[in-house]
Parts: sequence; structure tokens; C-alpha cells
Amino acid sequence: MDANRSHRLRAHGLKLAHLMTLFVAMSIICLPGLWIVLNSFRPTVEIMAKPPIWIPNDLNFDNYRAMFAGAGEGGVPVVTYFMNSLIISVTSTAIAILVGMAGGYAFARYRFRGKSAIFVGLMVTRAVPGVALSLPLFIVYARIGIIDTHFGMILTYVAMNVPFTIWLIDGFFRQVPKELAEAAEIDGCTRWQAFWRVEFPVARAGIASAGIFAFLTSWNEYALASQLTRSVTSKTMPVGLLDFTSEFTLNWGGMCALAVLMIIPALVLTFLVQKHLIAGLTFGGVKG
Amino acid sequence: MFRYKLPPWLLLLLPAIIVLAAVVMLPLLLSLYSSFTPYRLTRPDSLFKWIGTYNYEKALTDSKFWAAFGRTIVLLTIALNLEMLLGLGLALLVSKVTRGQRALRTMMMFPMMFSPVLVGFQFKFIFNDNVGLVNNALQSLGITDQVIPWLVDGKLAMFSIIFAEVWTSTSVFAILILAGLYAIPKDPLEAAKVDGCTSWQTFRHITLPFIMPFIYIAMAIRSLDVARAYDIVQIMTNGGPARRTELLWTLIGRTGYVDAKMGYANAMGYTSIFLAIFFTVYFFRKLTSARNELGMGG
Amino acid sequence: MAEVHLEKVVKKYGELEVVHGIDLDIGHNEFVVFVGPSGCGKSTTLRMIAGLENISGGNIRIGDRVVNDLPPRARNISMVFQNYALYPHMSVRENLGFSLKIAGKDKAEIEAAVDEAAAILSLTPLLDRKPGELSGGQRQRVAMGRAIVRHPDVFLFDEPLSNLDAKLRTQMRVEIKKLHRKIKTTIIYVTHDQVEAMTLADRIVIMRNGSIEQQGTPLEVFANPVSTFVATFIGSPPMNLIDGVVKGGQVVFSDGTSLPVPPRYSAAEGQRVQYGVRADNIMPIGHALPPEEHMAELDMTVSLSEPLGTETILFGEISDTEIQAKMLNPRPVEPGETMRFQITLDKCHLFDAESGVSLRT
Ligand SMILES: Nc1ncnc2c1ncn2[C@@H]1O[C@H](COP(=O)(O)OP(=O)(O)OP(=O)(O)O)[C@@H](O)[C@H]1O
Ligand SMILES: [Mg+2]
Repeated sequence: MDANRSHRLRAHGLKLAHLMTLFVAMSIICLPGLWIVLNSFRPTVEIMAKPPIWIPNDLNFDNYRAMFAGAGEGGVPVVTYFMNSLIISVTSTAIAILVGMAGGYAFARYRFRGKSAIFVGLMVTRAVPGVALSLPLFIVYARIGIIDTHFGMILTYVAMNVPFTIWLIDGFFRQVPKELAEAAEIDGCTRWQAFWRVEFPVARAGIASAGIFAFLTSWNEYALASQLTRSVTSKTMPVGLLDFTSEFTLNWGGMCALAVLMIIPALVLTFLVQKHLIAGLTFGGVKG
Repeated sequence: MFRYKLPPWLLLLLPAIIVLAAVVMLPLLLSLYSSFTPYRLTRPDSLFKWIGTYNYEKALTDSKFWAAFGRTIVLLTIALNLEMLLGLGLALLVSKVTRGQRALRTMMMFPMMFSPVLVGFQFKFIFNDNVGLVNNALQSLGITDQVIPWLVDGKLAMFSIIFAEVWTSTSVFAILILAGLYAIPKDPLEAAKVDGCTSWQTFRHITLPFIMPFIYIAMAIRSLDVARAYDIVQIMTNGGPARRTELLWTLIGRTGYVDAKMGYANAMGYTSIFLAIFFTVYFFRKLTSARNELGMGG
Repeated sequence: MAEVHLEKVVKKYGELEVVHGIDLDIGHNEFVVFVGPSGCGKSTTLRMIAGLENISGGNIRIGDRVVNDLPPRARNISMVFQNYALYPHMSVRENLGFSLKIAGKDKAEIEAAVDEAAAILSLTPLLDRKPGELSGGQRQRVAMGRAIVRHPDVFLFDEPLSNLDAKLRTQMRVEIKKLHRKIKTTIIYVTHDQVEAMTLADRIVIMRNGSIEQQGTPLEVFANPVSTFVATFIGSPPMNLIDGVVKGGQVVFSDGTSLPVPPRYSAAEGQRVQYGVRADNIMPIGHALPPEEHMAELDMTVSLSEPLGTETILFGEISDTEIQAKMLNPRPVEPGETMRFQITLDKCHLFDAESGVSLRT
């Protein structure tokens, strides 16, 4: 009897501790983001107030209005930056997915010598730190005149995303049994038709999530963009964030508003693909 | 007629290889070359003057370089291990929850969506000594009335950077380890329970070996991406105060772009590249062997 | 409807040769079953016929065309895979109609063909479901339906029943047999289950290590196995094989007992042989079939009995070799009981001990 009771008490205690820890952990994860969202609705003066104002009493859309008006405080051309980011991210993602699909298919379906060496070789190109790469890229791009252009950035981001999309897509194609394509061939398809009518549709959700991952990487990238973009013609939003800072002041409210603008698409997309993303990474990775 | 036909796999890999060769390999070769010259952005002709390994010798005898190098290793070691442990903890916490797991999972991925620059700004502001959230909170709660110089003191600045870095990247570990936990077959766990294992023993001898490959996947992914810390550090402290948070990457950026000494910067860049490649290959190796142990190879 | 001919067909993976020059002629509407242990090259041979693997040597003809280098779609064959390979993103209806759609048939024609196939396999109520919403047996039927809508020249089956439970397997076996009667097409069927092979086949092809060991009707290969390999592979329980030496028309075993060389077999004096006798042909006297022309008798101690109802399997030993015997009209048998057995010599076999080849004259 007693043993039972003490076990039960202990179980209750553990459960409480578990919930508390979880709550604290989730708070640490979520609070900084929520704080940014909150601050995007507050004037910079109030955010910076000393002593601090804990309960906001002046919530408004001024920061957003200023941002989209373009000529607001500091006149940061947010809409242009947004369009640059969008064009560069979408185009580079589309190309990276096509290239990644070809490569991922090769790894998933063909056996060849030195396969894992080639795989790691491709991955390693991704490990080259952005700063270290940006120096020579800067020189080359300046020489051939594609510095500060959409084209240059798209090319860079395609290269940056290809290794990872190959990894993910390899995983997704591996989940599609190869008998499906064989059955399609027997049903009268060419290899090409078998791919587009059977294998591609089956792996589609996974490929889409690889695309979203690539999109987010381009969308958020800073180290390369900060060197390879110079003006409003190609600056992306992460680089644009720096426009809100100057030597001694920092337009924190405006920056938060831009941050929210950056996060929202990312949030929506990540939410859509979270399940596939995990499946792709672990399957490709674990099942070798 | 003689026609050499490429095997299909090579044909399929060709676009990837071409793009990576053009955008990564070629520039890296250039930078390798320029690291043997005194190239300065402002003096283009200096690109054609060969000075041998001078830049490397200079880097290897430069105490600033070694300080940055050591600090980078320390930061990576601490951050990666912390991220792994916290990620493991977080994954275990979430996996034990009976209701609302989906929502928790999404929340857990929240920091992954933040651009590293944004993370930099966010924590620069949170740790601001004058109006930052942390100091404000500490003072309002009456825990201290001192102004804690989070980003100004060398040690505290390092702590703040690691905090920011861990905040963004723990979720990568957590989410992958969680996937591993979901994939564990139930039978061995139940068998262990019946065999009288305590929960710690079960974890140690069954759960942990099983999720090891997942941990290595996370490590491999992270090692591909470690240099993202550059963005965070660049914004939060830019290597300061007085170079006390200078990492390899910020040092390279400063030498190349601010001091315009491209040749020298590229020489240092190469060391950082080898560092990254070393980490990546190491974890891929680990991944393969862990996989084989579990009989998942092939 | 077509004949299929394999002439010296070879398959190599790099240096490794896994199929060593197979010759085989399959007639119109014949139901041929490939059996053999795992890894002997059954699937590989089937996939070469399908065009999914290219051949490293020899010729394959379907009808009067050489198809060596034709892709699968040009061979007018259809195939049922072990794990069905149903298209998961299509409904049953779309799965069935896919091949016709690819061939560019018009809607009405596709619909008619799909309905016909669905009726044959009683799939009509399932037409709008996705494969994920079907049971194993239903998926199996959809896979077969997908194969029959096109009226192919040849049907290929690669272990189509091995993912089903025992009861369903028996049931589907019957359905496949009926299907063959109904649609009259050449069928090549791969299995490693000898019961499936015996019950389905017009002709059994027994494969071993990439070569054909024996082919013939089920009764032929059962009655006249060409080697110990076939003898132990076909029939259940497997044929008993006892090592012995030929001495004066008798085969003498190591413990001194002996049996006469079976009729129609011949062996040299002193040759080392294996004596083959199936359980059906070694029965305790009083619980056996009426004796035939050539009989022999011996005593054996029963170590274990397995009652199966109408018969009982008895386990004993002759010269340290375990022997399985059959007992009709069973009575309880105590372990350790010694019984006298009769052996039907007309149905016994003799194999060379070294090569395992039958010594039949
Ligand atoms: N792609 C390949 N590369 C190298 N060897 C292979 C390949 N595919 C099959 N083999 C080998 O060829 C041999 C025949 O294989 P096959 O699949 O035909 O066997 P099987 O008779 O169908 O066996 P099972 O009953 O297990 O299906 C095996 O030894 C196998 O290891
Ligand atoms: Mg097989």
C-alpha cells in the first residue's frame, strides 16, 4: 500500500516538474519573437524609454505606414527590398529545385562508384563559410559585371541551395519504391513519362518542402548578400535591415516592422511543410 | 561513328556540378591563388605579384589570428554541445506531452524561421545594457540595480553571443531528435520495462543508441551552416569590444573589406574553410558508422 | 497470346554472372512457374523478359519478335509486383486505366476496359478508393486488374502472393488459376513456394544458382527428380536421402541395413550413392497402402510422431539419418516403439552421392 502511494506521489511531482520546465523552455523560445511583434506597433521613443514602460499604452500602425510610404523616417525603400527578396528567392528556389531534383534522383535511383564520396563532396561546398566565399565571389562578379544584380544573387543562391535540396530530394525519392516507375514503364510509359506521371507526383509534397527550405535560406541570407548587393537595385530585406541603423541611432520600431514583414512568409511556409521536412531529412540521412 | 555516352547518373548530376563548380569551386581557386599574392582591392595590379606563402606565414604568426581561431573553436564546441543537450532535453520534454504536441512542435521551430541578422539585432537589443529587455527586467524585478554590461564586457559578450546562437539553432536538434524518438519501435522499450530497467537505464541503453544517427544528422546539418554565426556576431558585437569576441569569420570580413587586404583575408579564409570541411566530413563519417551499427546501411 | 523463347540468356552484374545461359521455350497460353531458393535468379530472369533489366547475352523472343533491346512498353507484357506497386496518388479506377490512357485510348474505351477488368476481379465497389484505403488482398486484386486491362501477350508475376497471410494466399491462388482459364494468356509466374508452383503450373521450371535444374509438369518433376536438389525442393515433407554404398544389387547403409537398388536405376559396384524415399513410400505395415510389385521391409524405431488427422508423420532413423515416414489410419504411437515398415521400391530413387545426379536409366 505504502509503496504504491509513494510511487503515485512521485509520479505527480515529476509531472508537475515536466510541465514547468516545458513552460519555461517554450517561453524562452517564443518571447523574443513576440517582443519584436509587439515593438513593431510601438513608437521607438516608448520602446527606448527609461525607466521602461512595461504596459504599452500607445499601440499603432505608424511604423508600418512609414515603412510602406517609403519616404518615412530615414526613407528606407522597403517595398523595393521586398520585391528584390521575392524575385531573387523565388527564382533561385525554382532553379535549385530543378537542379536538385536531377541530382537527388541520380543519388536515389542509380548505383555508381564513389557515390558517397561525391555526395559528401557536394555537401562540403555548402560548408564553405559565406564570408570566405564572398571575397572571391566579389572579385569575380565585379570583373564580369554582375555585382549588385538580381542575376548574380540568383546564381549565388542556386549554388548555395543545391547541396541541401539534393540531400532532401534524394530522401524523398528513396521513399518512392522503384517498382512504381517500373510498373509505369510496363504500362507503356517512357522513362521520362514514368518520372513525371508517377514518381514526381508521389514525391511532390516532399519536393515542395525542399523548395520551401531553399526559399527560406535565400530569404534570410545575409553574409553573401551584404557584400554582393550594393544598392536598391538588388538589396534584399536582411541587408535592408541595416538601413534602420546609423552611427548613433537605431530606428528600432521601424526595424521591428520590417522584421515582421520578413517573418510572416517564413512562418506560414514553415508551418505548411514541417512534417515533410522532418521526413525528408531523416529518411535521406538515416537510411543512407 | 564514335560517340562517348555519359552514364545517366552523371548527366543528372551535371547541372549541380556545373553550378557548384562555377559559383564555389572556381572562386575558391581564385582565392587560393590570391592568397599567394599581396592583392588589395584598391590596387588591382597587385593580383599579379607572387609572394609565395607570405600571407600564410603572416597569419600563422599573427596572435590576432590565433586568438580568433581559438575563440571560434571554443564557440563552436560549446554551442554545438549545448544545442545538442538542450535539443535532446526539449525533444524529450515534448515527446512526453500527451496533448497539443503539434502546436508545441510548431513553436519549437519558431527560431528556425528567423534570419540570423534579425537574431543578431534582436539579441543586440535584448542584451543592450541601457534599455535592453534583460536589464530592464532584472531592474524592475529588483534583482539588481546595477547596469550589467552584457555586450560590453568581453566574457559576458561571449556569453550573449552563445546564447543567441543556441537560441536559433537548438530547434534543429530538437526537431530531428524528436523525429528519431517517434521512430523508435515500441517492442524493445517494452521489453526493457519488463526486464526491470529503470527509466534512466532504458534511456541509456535503448533510446540513446537509437537516436544517435538522428543526432549526427543534426550535427551534419549544423556543421554545414555554422558560419551563419557570422551574421549574428557581426550585428551583435562586430568582433568587439576591443576584438574580444572576434571570430575567424569577422576577422576575415574586416581584413578583406575594411582593410581591403584581399590576399591576406583569403589566406585566413582558407583556414576557416578547412575547419568547416573538417567538421562536416567528421560528422558524415559518424553518421555512416552510427547507421551501420543500427543496421540501416545500404 | 504469344510464345516466349529464351536462348542462352545471360545476365551479369559487372563481373558477377547471376544467370548462366538459360534456354526455355514457353508455348501459347502456357502457365509456367519458376521456383527455386532465394537468390537463384528467378526475378532477374523475369525482369529480363519484362525489359526491366537489359540482357548481357543471348536472345529473348516474344511471339516472332526479338525483343532484346526493346523497352518494356514495346513488349506488350504486363507484370504484377511482389509489393503490388500501385500508384498511390491515383484511385483504383485511374490505376486500372493508366496504361490505356498512356496508350492514348479514348475515354469510353478505357471505361469499358476498366469496368470489364473490375467485374472479373470483383473490384467494382472499390473503384473510387485510393490504394492506401485497401486491404492486402484487395490491393493484390487491383494489381492483377491493372495487368489484365491491356490484354497483354504475356503476364509476368513476381511472387505476387508472398505478402498475404496463409488463408488469403490459398484463396488468391485459386483466383489466379481461374483467371488463367478465363483470359487465356501466357503466364510466367515466379515463386519460391513449391506448393504454389505445384498447384498453379502447367510446367514447373526449377532454378538453381542461375541455371535451370529441371523443367516439366508438376507430376513429372515430382515423380522423376533429376537431382537431389529437385528431390528435396519439390514435395512435402522433403524426400528422405540416406547415404550408402552399392554392393551386389543392394545399397548398404553405414549401420549395416540395406535396401535393393530400385527398379529402373543402375549403379556401379562400390559406387557411393544416396537412396531417396518419400514419406508416402515408407509406411508401417498395417497402416499402409496395399503392396505393389517391388517391395522391401525394414524395422525402424519411432522417436517422434506428428498426428495430422487422416495421417501421422513418424520420425525415425536409418543409419544416423533422420527419416520421415507416413502412417495411414493412425493409431497412437509411443516414442521408442519399434515398427516394421514397408517400402515401395518402384517409387524410390537413387542419386550419385558426389554430384547429386539421378542414376535413372
Ligand atoms: N543490382 C544487382 N547487382 C548485383 N547483384 C544483383 C543485383 N540484383 C540481383 N543481384 C544478384 O542476383 C542474384 C539473383 O537475384 P534474384 O533477385 O533474381 O533472386 P530471386 O531468385 O528472385 O530470389 P528471391 O526469391 O529472394 O526473390 C542474387 O544472387 C542477387 O544477389
Ligand atoms: Mg525475387
